[in-house]
Amino acid sequence: MKAYLTTLVESAKRFRKPLIALAVVLALVIPLLPRNPFYQDLIIMIFFWATLATAWNLLGGFAGQISLGHAAFFGIGAYTSTILFLTFNLSPWIGMFAGAGLSMLVAFVVGFPTFRLTSHFFALATLAFGEVLRLLASYWRELTNGGVGLLIPHTPGFRNFIFDNKAAYAYVILVMLLAVLCVTYIFKKSRFGYSLFALREDQGAAESLGVNTHRAKMYALLISVFFTSIAGTFYAQYVAFIEPDIVFASHVSIQLALLSIIGGIGTVFGPLVGSLFLTPLDIFLRGWLGGVFSGLNFIVYGVILILAVMYFPLGIAGWIRKKIAGFEKAPALPKVTPADPAAGPDALTARRAVMGAPLMTVDSLSKRFGGLEAVKDLSFMVREGEILGLIGPNGAGKTTVFNLISGFIPADQGTIVFNGKDISSLKTPHCFCRECIGRTFQLVKPFGHMTVLENVMVGAFACTGHTEEARKESLAILQRIHLSHHAYTLASSLTIADRKRLELGRALATQPKLLLLDEVMAGLNPKETEDIIGIIRSISRDGVTIIMIEHVMKAVMSLSDRIVVINNGIKLVEGLPNDVVKDQRVIDAYLGGAYHATAGLK
Amino acid sequence: MGEVIIQLVINGLLLGGLYALLSIGLTLIFGVLEIVNFAHGEFLMISMYLAFLLFSFFGMDPYLSLIVILPVFFLFGYAIEKIIIKPLLNDPPLNQIFATIGLGLIFSNVALLLFKADFRTVKTPYSDVNLIFGNFFVSVPRLIAFLIAIALIAALLVYLKKTFTGKAIRALAQQRKAAMLMGIDVHRTYAIAFGIGIACVGAAGAVLLPLFFVFPTVGSLFSLIAFVIVILGGYNSLAGSLVAGLIIGLIEGFSGFFISPHLKEVVYFVLFIFILIFRPTGLFGKR
Amino acid sequence: MPILGVHIMQLLGLNNVTTKYGDLTAIRDVSINVEEGHIISIVGSNGAGKTTLLNTISGVLPSAGGTITFAGKEISHLPPHRIVEEGIIQVPEGRLLFPDMTVLENLELGAFNRRSRKDIPALLEAVFNYFPKLQDRSDQMAGTLSGGEQQMVAIGRGLMAKPKLLMMDEPSLGLSPLVVKTVFETISKIKSDGITILLVEQNVLQSLMISDDVYVLENGSIILNGQGRELMDDPRVREAYLGI
Repeated sequence: MKAYLTTLVESAKRFRKPLIALAVVLALVIPLLPRNPFYQDLIIMIFFWATLATAWNLLGGFAGQISLGHAAFFGIGAYTSTILFLTFNLSPWIGMFAGAGLSMLVAFVVGFPTFRLTSHFFALATLAFGEVLRLLASYWRELTNGGVGLLIPHTPGFRNFIFDNKAAYAYVILVMLLAVLCVTYIFKKSRFGYSLFALREDQGAAESLGVNTHRAKMYALLISVFFTSIAGTFYAQYVAFIEPDIVFASHVSIQLALLSIIGGIGTVFGPLVGSLFLTPLDIFLRGWLGGVFSGLNFIVYGVILILAVMYFPLGIAGWIRKKIAGFEKAPALPKVTPADPAAGPDALTARRAVMGAPLMTVDSLSKRFGGLEAVKDLSFMVREGEILGLIGPNGAGKTTVFNLISGFIPADQGTIVFNGKDISSLKTPHCFCRECIGRTFQLVKPFGHMTVLENVMVGAFACTGHTEEARKESLAILQRIHLSHHAYTLASSLTIADRKRLELGRALATQPKLLLLDEVMAGLNPKETEDIIGIIRSISRDGVTIIMIEHVMKAVMSLSDRIVVINNGIKLVEGLPNDVVKDQRVIDAYLGGAYHATAGLK
Repeated sequence: MGEVIIQLVINGLLLGGLYALLSIGLTLIFGVLEIVNFAHGEFLMISMYLAFLLFSFFGMDPYLSLIVILPVFFLFGYAIEKIIIKPLLNDPPLNQIFATIGLGLIFSNVALLLFKADFRTVKTPYSDVNLIFGNFFVSVPRLIAFLIAIALIAALLVYLKKTFTGKAIRALAQQRKAAMLMGIDVHRTYAIAFGIGIACVGAAGAVLLPLFFVFPTVGSLFSLIAFVIVILGGYNSLAGSLVAGLIIGLIEGFSGFFISPHLKEVVYFVLFIFILIFRPTGLFGKR
Repeated sequence: MPILGVHIMQLLGLNNVTTKYGDLTAIRDVSINVEEGHIISIVGSNGAGKTTLLNTISGVLPSAGGTITFAGKEISHLPPHRIVEEGIIQVPEGRLLFPDMTVLENLELGAFNRRSRKDIPALLEAVFNYFPKLQDRSDQMAGTLSGGEQQMVAIGRGLMAKPKLLMMDEPSLGLSPLVVKTVFETISKIKSDGITILLVEQNVLQSLMISDDVYVLENGSIILNGQGRELMDDPRVREAYLGI
């Protein structure tokens, strides 16, 4: 049975392109098939809702920004083209783009402040925004004719976007659907799509890999809004009547989310699948029961929504994908030539002799959190090619130092000069990544719903916009960090040791000059530690400068060229490993000082 | 003109007190459980219908119906938390958001099935009575609504300040792990906090009924106001909600007089966007 | 029952306890014996699993194997609030006070459990005896206190719960030497008042000196167990910390 399924899945994959072509042809033929207007209408509505939901999914599913205000853009699209058509007799084809432009402008203005909000409040703010536009449309009678609505007279003709034959509408909406599916599909495979997935999974980690998260979200919003808006024009032309309570209704926004959730949120075809299932159900419920029990369809929706998020959050497409994953053969990995084994410790010694120029100089850095002075007047320097160990007891302020020199928190005072350039004023982590500073996190932040390879590719996209190049680059890195066998595993199912490796590989993929490693060995067993030490050595051999925070002292001692010890936010000692470890001040800091040893006894 | 302004201030504050009661439950629930209850407005709607039914069938005064509504809504909220919210507490925000949205959809459309889209209200002997103080007048139902609202908010604040369960709720909102280590039963306390939040919005519905109409989608009208108040007040500050409620009441009064009563929501939203841009943590927010 | 000698009762016993975060094993087959009236220390470098161990005992983290018994009763699968009722109280790392509540309210919340609630006045008096300074600060918001004062509130809050076993996680972390001294004096005093203590400390020498029994934790497993003073000269302790 399993073998059979594997073959089935494999052949489905091999014939993916012909299958998609077949589906497109089928979609092209379908509008011609039914004569009955009821079925024609059903087909149009399936395509229509699929278009809207796919557009919503780009923002809500891919970028993880749950908008409950998309009805606003739908409404703007419908009203703009209709008003322009009725008042100035402007062709709705042009009005459609005017509406889309207006929607995008509004989205830009509203998106700017709302993107700073957390998920719940982003949803709340967009919901409020949609409601306000609905009320505005109702009250601004001069422009919108208020609650009475606008009626588009039946004057057929291509120019007027009005057709006698329903099949024509079906083709128009089909083109829109294919366009938004294509865009989504292309994005999924591109740097942009990877940025969106990454920021959805973990904004901080995405930033550290060079993703400008704010800009990526904004692009996703604008593209999503564009398609929502043109679908609004389509709706107005198809139904020939619009009113605020229909096109601006918050139900529209919720419906889009519902279709995406049922179909599979964050997948390319999920919203389409959702529409295939739910649109007929909707029309059935409205047609059959709506007359008697109006509102029953929404009750059914509410129940489906609650059950879906409680018991079926992956959706149909997500569920199928998960099931298939079990029967999928991982694609063969290309051969990458392993690193030169001759470059052993000797090469390392040779390199140490030539290093010298300071790569990063930190001068009197300070950071205060409320009453706590986390970092006080700290100055240190790291030379090109060096491995600098940053150690100190628990709570000494080491991670704060990393956050300061990778842009995650702003310093209160002090300067950071990197590669001859003052970078103290850079505001966001992705700028630090662009300057070639890479980092890992003490609490690893894998992009859980992405594969290991995809995780690393997010990093590789910092240096290339080309997907194939990023993939190749990433496969080579996976080889280096001994993770090739997990290339197609979801990051969330890795063991801790592999997660630490992945974290390292992802940062490495951004091709940093300086790599900040925050406790990459914590929680590993001796064998795993040995392995990661080897990896760090090989990275260093390639000329990458490294600063490492580490508690596994044996590792720090053997890896570091120099060590800086900090305690309570101040630099305690700086020097060669062997000197540092014998320093009484260091022993005091770690084990409790001689002073304490005699004090406090009964 | 000066007299008009004083009259507007009176009206605005009276309304604001009610708005504070309307939104304080939302703030409490977010402060403790860190979820936004998107069905908040629908709970209000249900309570208005319940008060309406109690009035129609038993002639019970809407204010008196608080005796029934407060405990019933507390239990209602408690049960909803246990059945729907608790299983989703560790889920991604998406699931939490759509669970309460689904709940709201069900509530408002069940109401539509049961009551149709008609606007209903109750006629009490004091509905149209005004008290006259010199040149100013005060509408009696608004005054009563204000006094009840302020009394209930005060009672809530005292409860949170003085009782063990109240302290446990605050503790949980401030430091979850420490609350656990002090022996506070986290899940029970969550359900209690949710129940109290729902009881607050239930009370708001009962005192709102004599002032307004009830219809199945009345909730969305008021949830918008509650959302703006919560953001203005700083997400999880109860005192912030009280002050923000009064401010929004005043703004509604003034914008209704000087701009247009129909555009009050637009004024809220502009305010809302300004808060987000210039003071994203609200007036009283810390984080 | 032992026929000869002093009978020292086992208060807390861990038998092959394992705790996992997802598929990561944080502590593995840990067995510990805490005798009544003693101070037991758990030392080890950062990431060794010390805090995980305390959180497992407190019921904050579910144990994935083994049994925990307290005063002869198995408590392995009780929720945190039930474990507090049993008399095991944790003073967490980083103090974790309720920042927007007064010192007094913080202390009162310590006595949230049913055993302690009715005795609040007496318990407060006892805590103010330990830390007279807190009485003057009782109306101040806990978030505005200095680090040392916050630690006092944290320990005081733990004592308010009438602990049979007080577990302290890094009580001297981030404090000045003088305050550290006070903290250790307090710990000795608490012991002399008959409360059993399980101590996790980075200040190794200090905690070895006041402990009756010490366990060294490395990579989630116990690698060494002995009496405090014995271990002071043991090179393996130093190695666990400094790698030399």
